[in-house]
Amino acid sequence: MIVFKKFKINSPKDKGNIMSKRKLTILVLGALLIGQTNLQAAESAEAVPQEQPVSDKQPQQASDSTAVPFGSEDLSATDTSEAGGTVTQAELDGVRAEIATLRDQLTQRLDKTIANSKRSLNISGSTQTRYAASSSPSKNGFLFNSAIISLKGYLKRDYVEGKSISYTLGLGSNTSTYNLQPTDAYLQYSIGQSLDIGKPYLYVQIGQQKKQFGLEATTTEDKQPAINLAQFASKLGLSTRDIGIRLYGDLFPVVDLGYNYRIPLIEYSLALYNGSGPNTADTNLDKDIEGRIVINAPAGYYSPYRGLALGGSYYKGKQDLYKGTTLITKGEGEGDKIRYGTDLSYVSAPFGFTAEYVIGKDEKALSGTTLANAVRATTESKGYTVTLFYEWGEQFYKNSRSQSRNDDWWPTTFQPFIRYDHWDPDTAVANNESNITTLGFNFFFAETTKFQLNYSLSDDKATHVKQNTFAAQFQFGF
Amino acid sequence: MKKWIKALPIVALLFVTGVAHAEEKPKVIRIGGGGNALNLPQASGAIGWVNEQGLLEKEFAKDGIKIERTYYKAMGPGQNEAIASGLIDFGSAGDLVTVVGRAGGLPYKIISTSGAGGSNIYIQVNPASGIKSLKDLKGKRIGYQKGTYLHLAFNRILDAVGLTEKEIRGVNLVNADAQAALATNSVDAIVSSSDRPLVDQGVAKLLFDTRKYPQFKSGPGSIFVTEAFANKYPETTRRVLKTLLKGYYWASKPENQEAIIASSVKNGGTYKHIKADLIGALPPKERYDPTVTTKVLKDYQEIIDFAFKRGIIRRRYNVSELFDLRFQAPALKELGYDKYWVHN
Repeated sequence: MIVFKKFKINSPKDKGNIMSKRKLTILVLGALLIGQTNLQAAESAEAVPQEQPVSDKQPQQASDSTAVPFGSEDLSATDTSEAGGTVTQAELDGVRAEIATLRDQLTQRLDKTIANSKRSLNISGSTQTRYAASSSPSKNGFLFNSAIISLKGYLKRDYVEGKSISYTLGLGSNTSTYNLQPTDAYLQYSIGQSLDIGKPYLYVQIGQQKKQFGLEATTTEDKQPAINLAQFASKLGLSTRDIGIRLYGDLFPVVDLGYNYRIPLIEYSLALYNGSGPNTADTNLDKDIEGRIVINAPAGYYSPYRGLALGGSYYKGKQDLYKGTTLITKGEGEGDKIRYGTDLSYVSAPFGFTAEYVIGKDEKALSGTTLANAVRATTESKGYTVTLFYEWGEQFYKNSRSQSRNDDWWPTTFQPFIRYDHWDPDTAVANNESNITTLGFNFFFAETTKFQLNYSLSDDKATHVKQNTFAAQFQFGF
Repeated sequence: MKKWIKALPIVALLFVTGVAHAEEKPKVIRIGGGGNALNLPQASGAIGWVNEQGLLEKEFAKDGIKIERTYYKAMGPGQNEAIASGLIDFGSAGDLVTVVGRAGGLPYKIISTSGAGGSNIYIQVNPASGIKSLKDLKGKRIGYQKGTYLHLAFNRILDAVGLTEKEIRGVNLVNADAQAALATNSVDAIVSSSDRPLVDQGVAKLLFDTRKYPQFKSGPGSIFVTEAFANKYPETTRRVLKTLLKGYYWASKPENQEAIIASSVKNGGTYKHIKADLIGALPPKERYDPTVTTKVLKDYQEIIDFAFKRGIIRRRYNVSELFDLRFQAPALKELGYDKYWVHN
């Protein structure tokens, strides 16, 4: 039980009632620890019981007749519980000296050992360490698959409407280079307000960024069950980054206040890219365009339709014109490149289902050596994937991850999944498809770490190679 | 024949008792609650005392039933998500949380209030905002956590001065963020519970609080249970409630008020503000009265109606849909508390 002794200090003569400097210091430092820096907070705690002793016999709640006229509050007189006392000058000077010492210690520590930045900075990163073994050809080995460091923060923060400007700079390496190269490097501006969850959001993003085509290539790593993306994502260049400008937002948000849940009926994204890929200057005068729209079920949190979404994506651009592997003279940026696809998902923990179907059309030269004499043709490719997963654990429940606890607890979660992945590089050619069936198991055991097991059966009809692949991967971040 | 008829109630009682004893028992009872400012896994008040004393653990130890407690930082909305996901069986929250949850079809029922006193609401303003009265809130940036009792009470206060939520610029902020936003002049005012360190520091002024206008205090909080648990384990549900009621009996004693305040301080409250919050408050016996009375039901129906009128919920429903009154009266009678909280 907390006991606050009475004290009132008016002059040095009141020594009998004077709270010792030490007690006062303890109170002040205690108040500092809980974000209270003034002496009044500690002092007036005792004043209240005198006004209103807490007991069965205390006065009943204020009646309407004694209440201040409603709506005509006087700020100077409202909070009568803020009564204070006085301390001597010597005691106050002593407390000030101790606070100054603490401040100096803190400043020294900040200067010597705490990292600094000009603007707000959030540092994060992730690494994938993998062991993989395959049957045909037989090979196995450990692999550090990727390492990414990401720096994010606000350049300008708008507290009134949330029309803030933020930045993202990512540096990453992969197995092909093992050199750090920029991954994300963009500015984001919230054109519309972003604080009221009941209203639409609208953002613009400028710089090198991930394309936003479909589901497979855009799902964040923590929500992607399989280690590898579906074949079409890499074969059609959907998972790469590009340099350009993207406008995206949503419309008609549905808010379920019982859960702090927000889902917009429509999400959209429109982008203009160089089309030359990441860390590369534009190789032609044309720009690629990309559009995506998602219709979400406008359902409350407890609705069985929550998590149901239907998406459509379109990408049109230019690429270099090749005959086989030979670039046609003056063929830079002269070949058409079109992608379109649709996706359906129902992700409502503990159950998840995703399906995506994508068509690619790439213009190539059948014959000729220059742009003038090239005979062109379009190759149509096709890919689709279906994934089913189920979870035991609370990893994907937002509020379960956020608990008042003493320990470094994290909801241990198990997630088995199965995925079928089909890729046909040329629909005009028979028996050239590649199919991969993956059985997997993900184990989430710490806030930023998961362990993944994937067993894949692949059948490449073009090369007549059937292969079994096993991969075990730790993905960890900070 | 007469003797046989007289024996009927006894037979019925034996039968009911037999059924109760035959009830399947859960292996674990999962109880949700709100987190606190210090992010510690503990509650305050009556439930905090029950937890400290380990009363639920003692009650169910002989049956081998484990007690699991989860404290959600997102408070009521966090517990609603947990109920929807089948993660907890019991919980406790403010008045609006269950009203909104039930409107969305959440299968739970209130089996007791968590004290009839309700909670005070405070409106703190930035002195530079020019806000001198509640009517001045029009067009201003106001921070508060939507979906909580603060949201509902604030709507009622606005309503009383002829304003609606659409006429202010509401910013959805949890209490800690709202305090920070007020300190940095990012909002003009915040709606909060009793803690107001910014007023102490001279950064903010207290514009309004319900100590002077108790008609705008929040309604009684709730103790709820999932329908599935209550229907499958009615005897266990009654025993859980019976144990919690011991906490409300303890909290209703004047001599325990300092201990209750101390437990609130241990959860991050400020002693001075908790004390000051009691100015004009009902006596403890009334404040911690957990019984579901006709007035409580009427209060909740008004909340449902008002929330619907203000668009906070999309479905208006009868309060009977929200309450399950099977458990409280027998539990009170077993404890001998049935005449303790007397109502006119």
